[in-house]
Amino acid sequence: MLIFDELKKNNPQLRLVAMALAAGLFILLAGLWWVQIVSAREYESHLETQSYRTVRIPAVRGKILDRNGRVLAENQPEYNLGLYLDDLRKQFDAAYGQALARVRAVQAQRIAAQEKKLGRSLTKVERRQFALTPEERERLREQARFQVASGVVRRVSERLDQPLALNEATFDRAYDTRRALPYPLLVNLNSTQIARFEEQYSGTLGVNLDLQAVRIYPFGTTAGHLLGYLQRDDSSEQGEDASFSYRLPDYRGAVGIEGGFDAQLRGRAGAEAVLVNNLGYRQSATILTPSEPGHNVVLTLDMDLEQAAVQSLVQRRGADARAAVVVMDVRTGDLLAMVSSPAINPDYAANDPKYLNDPKLRPQINRATQENYAPGSIFKPVVALAALAAGLDPNATVNNPGYVYVGRRHITDLAPPGEYNLRRAIIHSSNTYFITIGMRAGIENVIRMGEKFHFGERTGIPTRQETAGIFPTLDQVQSAGWRDGDSANICFGQGEMAVTPLQMAVAYAAIANGGKVLWPRLVERIEPQDPASSEAPTVFPSGVVRDELGVPPRDLRILRDDMLAETEDPEGTGHAAVVPGLRICGKTGTAQVMNEHNQEIDRTTWFASFAPYENPRYVVVVMVESGDYGGPTCAPIAHDIYEEILKKANTGAPGTLARTN
Amino acid sequence: MPATLLNQEHHERFDRLQLAALAGLMIIGTLFVYSATMANPAMAALPWYDQSWLRQIVWYALGIGAGAALCLLDYHILARWSFVAYWATIFFLFVVLIPHIGSMRFGARRWIDLGPFQFQPSEFAKLAFILALAHFLSRPADELRLPGNFWKGIGLLLLPFALTLKEPDLGSALVMLPTGLVMMFVAGTPKSYLLKLVGAVGLLAALFLVDVLFVPPGWWQISMEPYQRDRLLVYFGRDYTAFASPNATPAELQRLRQQQLDDEYNVRQALISVGSGGLMGKGWRQGTQNALGYLPRAVAHNDFIFSVIAEEEGFVGSILVLALYALVLFTGLRIAGQARDRLGRLVAVGVVTLIFSHVFINIGMNIRIMPVTGVPLPLLSYGGSSVLGSLIAVGLMQNVHIHRKGY
Repeated sequence: MLIFDELKKNNPQLRLVAMALAAGLFILLAGLWWVQIVSAREYESHLETQSYRTVRIPAVRGKILDRNGRVLAENQPEYNLGLYLDDLRKQFDAAYGQALARVRAVQAQRIAAQEKKLGRSLTKVERRQFALTPEERERLREQARFQVASGVVRRVSERLDQPLALNEATFDRAYDTRRALPYPLLVNLNSTQIARFEEQYSGTLGVNLDLQAVRIYPFGTTAGHLLGYLQRDDSSEQGEDASFSYRLPDYRGAVGIEGGFDAQLRGRAGAEAVLVNNLGYRQSATILTPSEPGHNVVLTLDMDLEQAAVQSLVQRRGADARAAVVVMDVRTGDLLAMVSSPAINPDYAANDPKYLNDPKLRPQINRATQENYAPGSIFKPVVALAALAAGLDPNATVNNPGYVYVGRRHITDLAPPGEYNLRRAIIHSSNTYFITIGMRAGIENVIRMGEKFHFGERTGIPTRQETAGIFPTLDQVQSAGWRDGDSANICFGQGEMAVTPLQMAVAYAAIANGGKVLWPRLVERIEPQDPASSEAPTVFPSGVVRDELGVPPRDLRILRDDMLAETEDPEGTGHAAVVPGLRICGKTGTAQVMNEHNQEIDRTTWFASFAPYENPRYVVVVMVESGDYGGPTCAPIAHDIYEEILKKANTGAPGTLARTN
Repeated sequence: MPATLLNQEHHERFDRLQLAALAGLMIIGTLFVYSATMANPAMAALPWYDQSWLRQIVWYALGIGAGAALCLLDYHILARWSFVAYWATIFFLFVVLIPHIGSMRFGARRWIDLGPFQFQPSEFAKLAFILALAHFLSRPADELRLPGNFWKGIGLLLLPFALTLKEPDLGSALVMLPTGLVMMFVAGTPKSYLLKLVGAVGLLAALFLVDVLFVPPGWWQISMEPYQRDRLLVYFGRDYTAFASPNATPAELQRLRQQQLDDEYNVRQALISVGSGGLMGKGWRQGTQNALGYLPRAVAHNDFIFSVIAEEEGFVGSILVLALYALVLFTGLRIAGQARDRLGRLVAVGVVTLIFSHVFINIGMNIRIMPVTGVPLPLLSYGGSSVLGSLIAVGLMQNVHIHRKGY
């Protein structure tokens, strides 16, 4: 090499030394290349794991709105007071230094005393027993930290006029495990406290305010079942980063809309990286991925009707009434009101656990969709449709002696004895008439008609609170075990069948709208929270037909006329529903709840209806457990709801008769 | 370009290229001692006149002064006094072992406390040893063939070696071995002697390592400081639990594992620092390992200064540092080649080997190709004795250059 011209001349030893040096430097170079170039990525990741803590930041949950934009669920900022440990570090160290000095002074005294006693100075080994063990030092540190922190807390407490205490055990645990995060001192400050704090402390003392969103439900318990509730759940969603050092409180919807649309409401949690030093204190923070706010869910509900229904139920039956109301648009399937009583608070913690678990009230179930009820006489229109299709002459009469025998079974008829055609049978709800025409038409035809209404099947509402109900199949009614008595029971809505109020609303809507069995719609659209967002809302189609009844319009017209008479005829059992200015078609029902000895233990009372007669728009189904009869118990509640509907129509209030966005 | 520079005919008084490289190292040293210490709030809070970087500059100045002063005297005159210096440093190496005189730091007794500062006799012992050995070996080559002279040379090496080892300062002791051997080799000591010597040293080292790494407690073990044993275990990747007694409880094993993690800490953090620097580094004063205190603050500015440089300036910075050292070393060898006589050549070769050993062991321990020993990186590590020692050594080298033949 040129460098070694000088070396070439003479010295072989020097040449060898030069080569050895070159080799040595080359080894270092190769080693550095390996570490800094080849393995750089690996060491960077080591660096990250030891110096970064990731924090999961939950997204702002979407709102739930009614069809007119009234807010049913939203988030409110809550101000929490947090102790920033990293800011207190110097004070911790200073306090530890003082504590150590005190302890050392005591030790020096003890050593001096010992030396005096022995009359000589202690040897190193003897002195050592006075020294502090690492555990004692650690304990001193802990005490110093707690002393500093509680001093700060005391001062804050005085100024805020709010008693605050620091628990040593929880503080130590937070220090050990969550040092990079602020230690929560006081949650949910009121506005006075916030003002005082901002005035006196902002940015000093290692205490600061941070913001947390809390879910609030402005309508309280109204529509509580439908809204559902949230449960604390900080875990990662699917497809989301699963490894976080810390997670801030997050919530997941359990049932109701909060549950059914949790994925949309919840949004996407973000991540923050907190840089920590070798002692674990927070150094700085950067947002890695911003959280994406959840979407708003706009319901088809009309809170005016919902509130009117709740109010009527409470006024007429009391807050503890076990009842349900469903109001549905017969043309679109939009659910305008869906009430289940007794109410439940969507702010789940606000409910009294004893009340929640009351075995009789069972407030947790949504009675509009989640419980099986015998429909009783409100099922009779379905039987009538089957009979008409099978050739029943609506004017032909059937004699009712006050009872009917099916085989050897005696069934009483509450309708007065006499001759009954279809209209009179509906008005007086004659069991004899419907058993007779039903049996004549054949139970198979009744079942086929019921299947077209999709009894015994879920309506598919997204609240995770639905039961399918019970309805016999054709195979069942044709099997050997099926008796005429069972068929007779079906003909007046008892026995081997059960429905939900929502199913009855869908069925009456089909009768009202000319034979279309609709999928009920509860959610109108899902839209981004930010109104400026360019993202298009997801609109759920309305008026989606599930099935056609396939009966002649004449049959439906006959039925509607007879059901109109049920409310308008002074003798009609549903007369209490009448609202001047609105012609209502309805049917009352009173189903007996039997025990195993075939004794009546309770009643389910019903009023199922639609209006206006001329051009049906609304279905109102009212169900009350343990009522007297459908007429006196349920029809008045429907009356109140129709009054509200009429009032809204007359005042031109938005939303009910004309949809606005 | 450097190649042509290196091949110019030399008529300058000083070896300017070497001096330029040294100046470069001192600038880097100042910058990164600053970076390493300013990241530490406690150190950054000191008044400016107490700052490490400023002290380092003062040491540089003193060292340059001392090195220049040495150049005033012909190295032959210095060599005549070399044994006085040798025995003086031997005396200090003894003295430092006496408990009330040598001050204890990190479990080692290496410093003599002189009030405002402390000095480390081993740093100067290395220089006196080089000078004395060069003086001794500069006798006619025929005399070196005598076994008696060979053993005397070995004795000259072993005395400071053993004393330094006793402090314990394994690193300083270790660098004397190659220095002595290379000087003997260049002096023309017969190869058969040297091969036997290297063989014997190698065998002893191997036996020593086997004893440290594989002999379970209770058997015969070489007595050494626990931390030294631990460093070797860490370096060779041995599991501490292998040395636990057979009936150790899980808690004891757990404690051993934790201790191993703690002991590996420096090495691991140094590696993370160097590795995460990548190609270009994070920028001066931007090293997170250093700023966040993961690289232990007690050593970041001295023994592990290279980690700070490598983290902040990356592979590019590492190459720059290596290149500067290469310049110093090869110009040093050129000085040796051009030296007037064997004495001058041996002094230059001794200094070159000493610097190289420091560089290799120190950078090697930063990237885990050498075990951790307290060897400073010449001119870059913070520390008065080391800086003074390095600059005096360089002064000796320049002295040989100044008084070379044909000048």
